Amino acid sequence: MTVRGITKRIGSIKFSCVSPEEIRKMSATKVITADTYDDEGYPIEMGLMDPHMGVIEPGLRCKTCGCKVDECPGHFGHIDLAMPVIHVGFIKDIKMLLESTCCQCGRLMLSEDQIKVRRESMDRMEELGGGTIDVKNFSKETAKDASGKGICPYCGKEQVKIKLDKPTTFREVNDNHKLTPKEVRERLERITDDDLVTLGIDPSTCRPEWMVLTALAVPPVTVRPSITLDSGDRSEDDLTHKLVDVLRINQRLRENRDAGAPQLIVEDLWELLQYHVTTYFDNQTSGIPPARHRSGRPLKTLAQRLKGKEGRFRSNLSGKRVNFSARTVISPDPLLSINEVGVPVFAARELTVPVHVNEHNIEQVREIVRRGPSPGLDDPYLPGANYVIRADGRRIRVTERNSEDVAEGIEIDYTVERQLIDGDVVLFNRQPSLHRMSMMAHRVRIMPGRTFRFNLCVCPPYNADFDGDEMNLHVLQSDEARAEARILMQVQENILSPRYGGPIIGAIHDHITGAYFLTHDNPRFDRFEAANIMFRLSDIPMPEPYIDEKGEPYWTGKQLFSTVLPSDFRSTFKSNICRNCKTGCKKEECDFDAYVKIRDGKLLCGTVDVKGIGNSKGKILDRIARDYGADRAALFINQVTRLALGAIMNHGFSTGIGDEDIPAEAANQISSFSQECIDKVSDLVESFHDGTLDQMPGRSLRETLEVKVMGVLGEARDQAGRIAGNHLGMTNPAVIMAKAGARGSMLNLSQMAGCVGQQAVRGERLSRGYWNRTLPHFEKGDLGAYARGFCSNSYKSGLTPTEFFFHAMGGREGLVDTAVRTSRSGYMQRRLVSALEDLKLTSDGTVRNTIGTVVQFRYGEDGVDPARTVRGKAIDLDDLFAEVLGDKADELLHIDTKDVGGDYGSLEKDEMEYIEEEDSEDYDDLDMDYDGGGE
Amino acid sequence: MARKDTMKALANRGVRDEVVALLLTQYNTLSDISAAGVDALVDLGIDSAEAAEIITKIGKRPSSSKAKKAVVEDVPVQPMEEVTNYYVYSDVENRLKAIAERLDVQLPMKIIVDIADRIKNADLDEETCEKLISTAYRMYSAHLMDQNESAGVMAAHSLGEPGTQMNMRTFHYAGVANINVTQGLPRLIEIVDARRIPSTPSMDIPLKGIAAEDENVARLVASNIEITSLQDVATIEVDITNMRLIVDPDNRKMDVKGITSEEIVDKLNKLKAVRGMVELDSSEYKIVVRWSEEPSFKKLQSMYDAIKNAKIKGIDGITRAVLSKTEGSWKIITEGSNLKEVLKVEGVDADNVMTNSILEVADVLGIEAARNSIIHEAMGTLGEAGLDVDIRHIMLVADLMTNDGYVKAIGRHGVSGKKSSVLARAAFEITAAHLLHAAMVGEVDHLEGVTENIIVGQPVTLGTGAVNIIYTPKKKGDEE
Repeated sequence: MTVRGITKRIGSIKFSCVSPEEIRKMSATKVITADTYDDEGYPIEMGLMDPHMGVIEPGLRCKTCGCKVDECPGHFGHIDLAMPVIHVGFIKDIKMLLESTCCQCGRLMLSEDQIKVRRESMDRMEELGGGTIDVKNFSKETAKDASGKGICPYCGKEQVKIKLDKPTTFREVNDNHKLTPKEVRERLERITDDDLVTLGIDPSTCRPEWMVLTALAVPPVTVRPSITLDSGDRSEDDLTHKLVDVLRINQRLRENRDAGAPQLIVEDLWELLQYHVTTYFDNQTSGIPPARHRSGRPLKTLAQRLKGKEGRFRSNLSGKRVNFSARTVISPDPLLSINEVGVPVFAARELTVPVHVNEHNIEQVREIVRRGPSPGLDDPYLPGANYVIRADGRRIRVTERNSEDVAEGIEIDYTVERQLIDGDVVLFNRQPSLHRMSMMAHRVRIMPGRTFRFNLCVCPPYNADFDGDEMNLHVLQSDEARAEARILMQVQENILSPRYGGPIIGAIHDHITGAYFLTHDNPRFDRFEAANIMFRLSDIPMPEPYIDEKGEPYWTGKQLFSTVLPSDFRSTFKSNICRNCKTGCKKEECDFDAYVKIRDGKLLCGTVDVKGIGNSKGKILDRIARDYGADRAALFINQVTRLALGAIMNHGFSTGIGDEDIPAEAANQISSFSQECIDKVSDLVESFHDGTLDQMPGRSLRETLEVKVMGVLGEARDQAGRIAGNHLGMTNPAVIMAKAGARGSMLNLSQMAGCVGQQAVRGERLSRGYWNRTLPHFEKGDLGAYARGFCSNSYKSGLTPTEFFFHAMGGREGLVDTAVRTSRSGYMQRRLVSALEDLKLTSDGTVRNTIGTVVQFRYGEDGVDPARTVRGKAIDLDDLFAEVLGDKADELLHIDTKDVGGDYGSLEKDEMEYIEEEDSEDYDDLDMDYDGGGE
Repeated sequence: MARKDTMKALANRGVRDEVVALLLTQYNTLSDISAAGVDALVDLGIDSAEAAEIITKIGKRPSSSKAKKAVVEDVPVQPMEEVTNYYVYSDVENRLKAIAERLDVQLPMKIIVDIADRIKNADLDEETCEKLISTAYRMYSAHLMDQNESAGVMAAHSLGEPGTQMNMRTFHYAGVANINVTQGLPRLIEIVDARRIPSTPSMDIPLKGIAAEDENVARLVASNIEITSLQDVATIEVDITNMRLIVDPDNRKMDVKGITSEEIVDKLNKLKAVRGMVELDSSEYKIVVRWSEEPSFKKLQSMYDAIKNAKIKGIDGITRAVLSKTEGSWKIITEGSNLKEVLKVEGVDADNVMTNSILEVADVLGIEAARNSIIHEAMGTLGEAGLDVDIRHIMLVADLMTNDGYVKAIGRHGVSGKKSSVLARAAFEITAAHLLHAAMVGEVDHLEGVTENIIVGQPVTLGTGAVNIIYTPKKKGDEE
C-alpha cells in the first residue's frame, strides 16, 4: 500500500542536450526500416513500431522491459543519420557561435584580457544572483563583440563572413560557398570548453556540435500511438509519418553516397533530409512549406505538440483533468444556507469520498458497503459504496451482487470509497474563474432533482444566474484538503471581497425589496402576519409584541428586523433611498425614513435597503462580517434573507408593463418637451448651415454642432425621465426596486416610460449607412434629431420603424463590444497572473518573488489585508471613536456628518454596472446611450 | 556597429588597411586603442614608428571633443534644490505619535494623522488619547495580512476581474476641455503594457501666479505650449513670377498666439532650408523669402513644403492646449505630452503638472515618480469606470513593474519573460525557444514558483504550501 502522510518533493530539474553517443546508448533499438507493421499486423523489428520501444496493443509485451500496455513507460530508439543535419531550434545559436569564433582555430575572437574581464563580470553576476535571462543577454553581447572581426587574434587567420539563408543553410559571403552541416559541425567541434563558458554555454550539458545531429532519437511508441479505425485500417500518428519520411530519405542518401553517386544528387538528398528533420522538430519553421498529411492538413510535429493553448504545457501540464467531479445545470434554493450546495442524488451516487478503515469505524463502513452502489431508496437517501481498496492497493468494484461478500472481507487499513453524504466538503466552481471567489467550498446537501442548487446570495461571486448556467463540483479526497477547504475556501470565509474590502456575498434583488417593505415607515403586523414572516427563522423566538389602542398585540417591521442583528450591534448610515436633501440632513427625523440608526442591536430608525444588507454595499453586513466573524455573518445572511422573503411574501410584490403607465397629461408634457428639443436641434442645424453657429475653441464647426445637439437631446431624455419619474411615485413597484437598489435604475424606468433617447455608435450620433444619410427615409444631409438616431418614444409607447432600426444599431455595437472585451481582458488577466503569481508575503512583512527579490518592503505600505480594510482604510475611525468615547463621540468631536454613510461607489456607477451586465445578456436591454446612463 | 565606425575612422586617418584589421582583432573603439598605448600596439606586431603615428592620429579627434566637453563643464553645476515641502506634523499629530512611541505600538502614520484630524477640535485628556491609540493598534493588527498570503495572485485577480466589466468605448471627453482620452479597458491594458507612447497622450497643467487668475495671461501660457506652425498664423503664397515665397501673416491669429512678424522672420531664418533668405518687406507687411541662386521651381516647391509646417512657437508634441477653469484657477489641458519642456515654461505650476505618459515620467522624474504615475493612472481609469479596486493591489503591480529601476511591461517582454524558472516561462509564451535555450546553457529549475510546481504535480509554495514541519529523523547510526 502507498505510504500515507509522507510526501517527497522534486528538488530541481536540469535541462540539457543529448549527445549522439547518449542517444545511441539509451536507444532500445536502432530503426532502419521505414515500414511499421507486417502483413499479419505485427510490428516489424527495427521498424518504427518495434516492440522494443514499448507497446500500445493490449496483450503484447514490451521487449525491453517485459511490461504490458500502461505499465511500460516506453523506450527511445534511434536513427543513425547518413549525413549530419542541423537542428532548427538551435540555428540562431549556431550562427552566433560560428560568427564569434575563428573558422580555423575555433577560438573565441576576443583577446585574453577581454575574455578575462567578461568572465569576471559573469562570475560577479552569478554572485549577485543574476538570472539566466541576464546571463543570456550578457553572453549575447560577448558574442556580438567577438563577431565580425577580420582577423583571428590567436592564429591570424582572415575570417570570412557567414550569412544565414533561412531556415538552415549557412553561406560564406565572399564566394557564396555553402557550408555543409558537416563543415559546420567540424567548426563547432573546434570550440574549446573554456570559450563556451564565456559564451554562456555549459559544455558539460551541451557541446555545440550536438546541435548538428548525427543520430536522431526516436520517441517511444507510446508517445505516437497509432489508431485502429473501425474499418480495421491503421492510422499512424503525425510523428510516425514524419519519421517514415526521415528514414526513407536517410536510406536513399546512404545508398547513393555509398554507391558514389554524383555530388549533386547527394547534396539534393542531403537537403531533403535536412527538410524532413527540420519539419520533424518544428513544422511551422518560417521559410519552408509545412509538411502536410495526405489530406492536406499540416502535420503536428514536436514543437506544435508543446506550443500554444492546446499544447502540452498549457493544456496538460498547467491544467489537468480530474476525477471525482460533476457538472450540471444550476438552480436557486433560497432555503439553503449560503454554505451549502444541493447535490442531486444521481450525482451523489457517482461521487465518492475515500474512508480509511480503522477499528473505530469498521462496522459503519461495513454497513455502507453492504448497501452496494445503489441502495434502492433515494428518499431517505442512504450512502452506498462504489469501490473498496484493499491494503495492498487492489481495487474491488462493489456491485449489487458482491456487496455482502466484500463488506465481510473488509479489514483495517482498507479504504472504502463511500458515496456523498450531507455535510461533505466539496469545491464548487463556475467558469470563467476570474477571481478566487469563483471556486469556493460548500457543504453537501443531497437533494432530489437533477440540478445543483445554492443560495441566491452566492450568485455574485460566481457571477451566476439561472438562465441555463452550468457549474462544476469537485469532491475532496484527503483530510488535509478538506481541512484547508473548510478553513480557507468555505463560502462564509469569502464574504468580504479582497478586491475592495466590502461584502461580495449579500442580499440581492427580492431580499432587498423585502427588507424595504419590512422596515420602511415601520409597518405594523398582527399576530398572523408576524408569524408568517418569522416562521422560517426557527431558532429565533418571537419578540415581545407591542399592544395597540384596541388591546391587540402587534409587531413592527423594525422590531422584527432587529431580531436578526447581534445584540450589541451599533451602526449609523444613510439608506439608498436617501435624497441627499439640500436643506441639510434631518437625521433621525428624516421625512423619508432614510437615516438608519442601530444601537444595541435595535433598529431605531431608517429603512434597510441595499446599503444595509445588499451585496457589495451592505454596511450592516460589512460590519458583521468583519467584527463578528464568518460564522455570525453567514448566520446573519441566512436569517436576514429569510426574513426579507417572509416580508415580501406577506406584502405581495410584482411588476408589469402597467407599472410604466403614465397619465395622459404627463405623456403630453413629455412629447411637447421633446418636440421643443427637436425644434431646438433644427435651429442649431440651421445656424450651422448659416454659419451663425459659434464655434467652440479647438473644435470644428461640425463638431461644435454635434456637441450642442448631443447636449440638447440628452437634456430631452433626462427631462422626459424626470417627468415620468414624478408621475411614478414610491408606490410603483418598479420605482421601489430602483430606489431601494434591488434591481433596475431610474434610467431604465425613464427609458421605458419617458423617452428612449439618443442612440449612439462609438459615442457619436448615428451617421453611417447610405450616402450622407442614415436611412433612405430621410433627406440627404439631414442633420436633424430624428435623422440621426434620436428615439423620442419610450419602450412602452413603442418605437417607430426607423427608431427601432437605430436602436438595433446601438445594440449591435454593444454586442460586438462584449465579444471583443472578453478576449482582450482575458489575455490581460492571464498576463497579470503569470507576472504576479509568485509574489507572496513573507514572514518579515516584505513581498518577494521566488528568487527572493523584494518587491515591496511593506505590503501596500501598511501591511493591511485589503479584504479586512474598511473601504480601503486600515481601520474604521467611526468604530474607534464609538468604542473609546461612546455614543457622544459625534458631539465631542464636532464631526460634520456629511461623511457618515460613505459608499463604495456612487449611485451612478452602480447603475453603470447594471447596464453593463444587462448588455451582455438580453438583447432588449441593449441601449447604448450617449453618456452611458450617467445622470 | 561600433567596430564599423572605428574601421572607417581609422581609414580616414590614413591608417593602412592591414593595420586596421590587426587593430580591430583587439580593440573595438578608438579610445580603446589610444588607451592601450604604443607598447601594446607594438606587441601586436606593428612597428613602433607606425604605432606612435597611429596613436597621435587617433589622439586628435577625442581631444577636440574633450575640449568641447570642458567648455560644457565650465558652467557651474548647480546642486538640485532640496525638496523642502515635507509634511509637517501638527501638534495633535505629534502628541499622538509620542503616545504611540511610548506605548511601543507601530501604527502607520496615516492612521495617526486620520485620528488627529478627527480629534483636533476636541479637547481630549491624555488617558483618552492613549486609549484611542491602543484601541486603534488592536484594530490595526487584526486587519494585517496573513503570512504567506499570495498577495500577487490576489492583486492580479482584483485587477483582471473588473476588466471584464469595463467598457471598450475608447473615447471619453475629459471635462469641459473636450479632449479625447483613452479610457476603460484599452487604457488599462496600455498601462500594464508600459507602452512608450500612450494612444492619447495628454497633460494636465495647472498654472500659478497671475496666470492662474487671469484668463489672458493663461491664454498666453497656453500659446507658449501649444505648437504653432507657420500655416496656422499665415497664408503662404508661391510667387512664381518673381521666384519667391510670400508669407502673409494673419494679424488677428498672431495676436491671439502672441507672435510678431519679427519672430516669424527670426524663426524662419534659423530653418535649414531657408536660412538667411527671409526678410520682412516693410512696405507690404509681408514676409518674403527669396534667394539669389539660380531659379528652380523644384526648389521653390521644396521650400514651400519646408516652411509650411515650420514650428513658430510652442512645444514639440503638444498639438492642442485648451484652457479650463477648476476651483477658481485656470489650468491647461493638452493633447500630446512633453513633460520635460512644459516644466520649463513660465507660469506653469511645475510641482503639479501631470502627464498620462508613464515612460515620460520615468525619463524626466525618475522611477519612483513613474511608480506613482502607474498607480495614479490605473486608479483613475478604474475609478472612471465606476469600479472599486483597493489601491494596495495596484501598488503591488506598480512596484513589480518598476522594481528594477526600469518600467517593465506585464507580459512576455517584461516581467513574465524575466522569470527565473524555465518551466514557468515555457508555460506562458514562446514555449519551444525557452526550452531549447535552457537545454543549451544547462539551466536548472529549482521549482520554487507556482507554475513549475503545478507542472510537476506537487503543492505550490504559497499559502498553506509554504509552511513545513521541520523534523530531522534520527539516522540509524545516531541511535545510541
